Amino acid sequence: MTHPIFEARDITKSYGVVHALKGVSIGIGAGEIHAIIGENGAGKSTLMSIFCGKIRPSSGTLHRDGEQVAFARPLDAQRAGISIAPQEINLVPDLTVAENIMLGAHETTGPAIDWRKTRRKALRHLLEIDESIDPASKVHRLSKAQQQLVQIARAAATLARILILDEPTAALTSRETEKLFSYVRRFRAEGGSVFYISHRLGEILELADRITVLRDGAHVGELDPKTTTKDEMVRQMAGRVVGRGNPAPHVGLEAREVVLKVDGLTRHGEFDDVSFELHRGEILGVSGLIGAGRTEVAKCIFGLTQADGGTVELFGERLDARRSPLDCIAKGLVYLPEERKQEGIFPLLSIAENMTMPSLDRFGGLLRMRTADMLREVDGFVERLRIKLGSPADPITSLSGGNQQKVIIGRWLMRNARVLIMDEPTRGIDVAAKFEIQNELRRFTDREGLSIVFISSELEEVLDVSDRIVVMHEGKVKGIPAAAAATQESLLQLAMS
Amino acid sequence: MTHDITVSSAHAPAKKRAGLLARFWQWEASGILVALIALMVVLSLATDNFLSTYNMSVVARQAAFVGLVALGQTLVLLVGGIDLSVGAAAGLSAIVGSLLLTMFGVHPYAVIPLTMGFGLCLGFINGFFVAGLRLNPFIVTLATWEIFAGLTMVITKGYPIRPLGETFGVFGKGEILSVPIPVLVFLVSGAVLIWLLTQTRFGRNIFAVGGNRDAAVLVGIRVKFVEFLVFGLAGMFAALAGILFASRMDAGQPSVGEGWLMGAITAAILGGTSLRGGQGSIVGTMLGAMLLTVLANGTVLLNVSGFWQRVIVGGVVLIAVLVDLFRRRG
Repeated sequence: MTHPIFEARDITKSYGVVHALKGVSIGIGAGEIHAIIGENGAGKSTLMSIFCGKIRPSSGTLHRDGEQVAFARPLDAQRAGISIAPQEINLVPDLTVAENIMLGAHETTGPAIDWRKTRRKALRHLLEIDESIDPASKVHRLSKAQQQLVQIARAAATLARILILDEPTAALTSRETEKLFSYVRRFRAEGGSVFYISHRLGEILELADRITVLRDGAHVGELDPKTTTKDEMVRQMAGRVVGRGNPAPHVGLEAREVVLKVDGLTRHGEFDDVSFELHRGEILGVSGLIGAGRTEVAKCIFGLTQADGGTVELFGERLDARRSPLDCIAKGLVYLPEERKQEGIFPLLSIAENMTMPSLDRFGGLLRMRTADMLREVDGFVERLRIKLGSPADPITSLSGGNQQKVIIGRWLMRNARVLIMDEPTRGIDVAAKFEIQNELRRFTDREGLSIVFISSELEEVLDVSDRIVVMHEGKVKGIPAAAAATQESLLQLAMS
Repeated sequence: MTHDITVSSAHAPAKKRAGLLARFWQWEASGILVALIALMVVLSLATDNFLSTYNMSVVARQAAFVGLVALGQTLVLLVGGIDLSVGAAAGLSAIVGSLLLTMFGVHPYAVIPLTMGFGLCLGFINGFFVAGLRLNPFIVTLATWEIFAGLTMVITKGYPIRPLGETFGVFGKGEILSVPIPVLVFLVSGAVLIWLLTQTRFGRNIFAVGGNRDAAVLVGIRVKFVEFLVFGLAGMFAALAGILFASRMDAGQPSVGEGWLMGAITAAILGGTSLRGGQGSIVGTMLGAMLLTVLANGTVLLNVSGFWQRVIVGGVVLIAVLVDLFRRRG
């Protein structure tokens, strides 16, 4: 590696007694893509927030081209040529793409904004990444993936020499991912440097020049993408050998009763003629790219939207076409949404309340809620699902993503759900917790006869956890192969066929 | 904290030992309770008559009227809404109640529940637009505020309806065990709402809807029903305050309820209720209403010009918000 153009030495960050970073030293050279990996809570985001001037380290120093620098605010970092495209979409929805890209950096003549110049400049940065996005369109009209790309264009528009990309591909389809990769490679070829954070280990192996592993706020190792493997990366991130699920697929599922039968379900503009059957004790994966219509189908089955055609049968009983979520829940069919923070948890309420919210009728006494019974039941599920918590009275937000997801699973088991539709249940959850949840789901289907529709964008995960896989593409079911006989390549081929 | 209400009492005794003071400080209404006590101590030292029985009953009664309105407002704020029409709804209900009594000869005892029913219906109008049609509560209730206030003037042409009679007057003027009846009504209403919010499914659903509406839909809560009912209750409590005030004044005055809107919102905010929904408490609101009235009363007793009163109230709200900010940043 050449001389580092940017370097962090012995960075620590403490919040009270919590040490988010414990003396991390890391550098980046010109024309280098440096991947940072680690479980959630490993300190990646904290470190990147320090690099881009959002927060200040408790101790340690930053060096740009060998000279010590201090960033009091993001603008200082931008002046030093460092810019971040954060994971969360952080754009102004009612402004145009062009203005979002140039926000705070409008071209001016005198006191007035020179719109032509501003737009032209925005367009140049946008074209670098994706030529198909209309710069005059309002941002809220764009898909999530396009917004993500605009956000990256915005970071680039600050004339950054060091880009921080935090989970840039989380919402991207494979085609957009390719666009992004070729942009990142071009940026590198021109001498730009990239800190690249991702949970997708495959793309890191493909893209990165160097991999740094963080664990519990400490730098635990550096890997060479040319020689390392995914298993090695996972082992380093988790600090132990992670028990891979690899659960044996079920045999004789076809003979078991069908609990959920979807027949010819259609919603114009979203999905078309979707049919599949879910057997008791089965995990039915649903794979496909973003925009394949998987979430739309799930929401329609659950009665959040109305179908234009087709039927849904639950335990042999045809569900009313105008069913509500409440009807479905009463019959044992539940939906765990994709956006856990936005649609899953009640952030202001306690763990116990988050779990019991749909089951409160069971704990209503004559005058008082039977709190003791409620807590006993909550404790039971905490134990069964191995949720790590202090007290059930703590706010749900005190838990990690994985444990929050388990609370939501507990919520529905407590409500005696028999059929679960889970939408990206492990997104944003660290590797160890992910495997744990996968194994847990397997246990529930095996021992308790639950049936699960498991929607996931990660082919690897779908292959690991499912018995059969519904492959969707652009609103249509392309096939339902058995997981044991499928590979990532075969699934992709099927989707594109 | 709100999420502690139902579960913490039976749980984690170790936490309790962590310090009563710390736990008290954690409670969102703690600041206002301290402020209220401090203010009362100062006023009782600085004036001769603050603690007099007469003055106390005046203060308590005033707090009861605006407090009743604030109770309903708190429910609306908890589901993430706001009701600007409560003051006007109180006024219109008081007028309609007075007319029931004087023009239609309804028995005085039946007037109160009928008026409350009328207020409930006014609230349901808001609820229909906000919950049913998903319109912005600020805009909807801004419109109904004008409509209710306008109807009051249409009906009364600006003249009070009086007299309302001795029998009816008992609700506003009477006392039980030397506690004014409006104060009793306020306390009982507060107690019922505390029970409702902490011990019933409907109450917990209010917190869920206000805290995360999308999630509430997905767990099968009848979100629209909850919102609809809450707006209805806000109208009902406003009507209750209005008719009690009419009884107290022995007149259905068109001006009843003027000033109650800001008082109600201020009381709720002082008590730690969040305008974003999902956070707040009835106890806080009740204390907030007390604090507001004691402040007003104090300025009078200290011979401070009435014009300064609003400046002081505004300052207190800002201080309350700052205190809350520092507590959160802990």
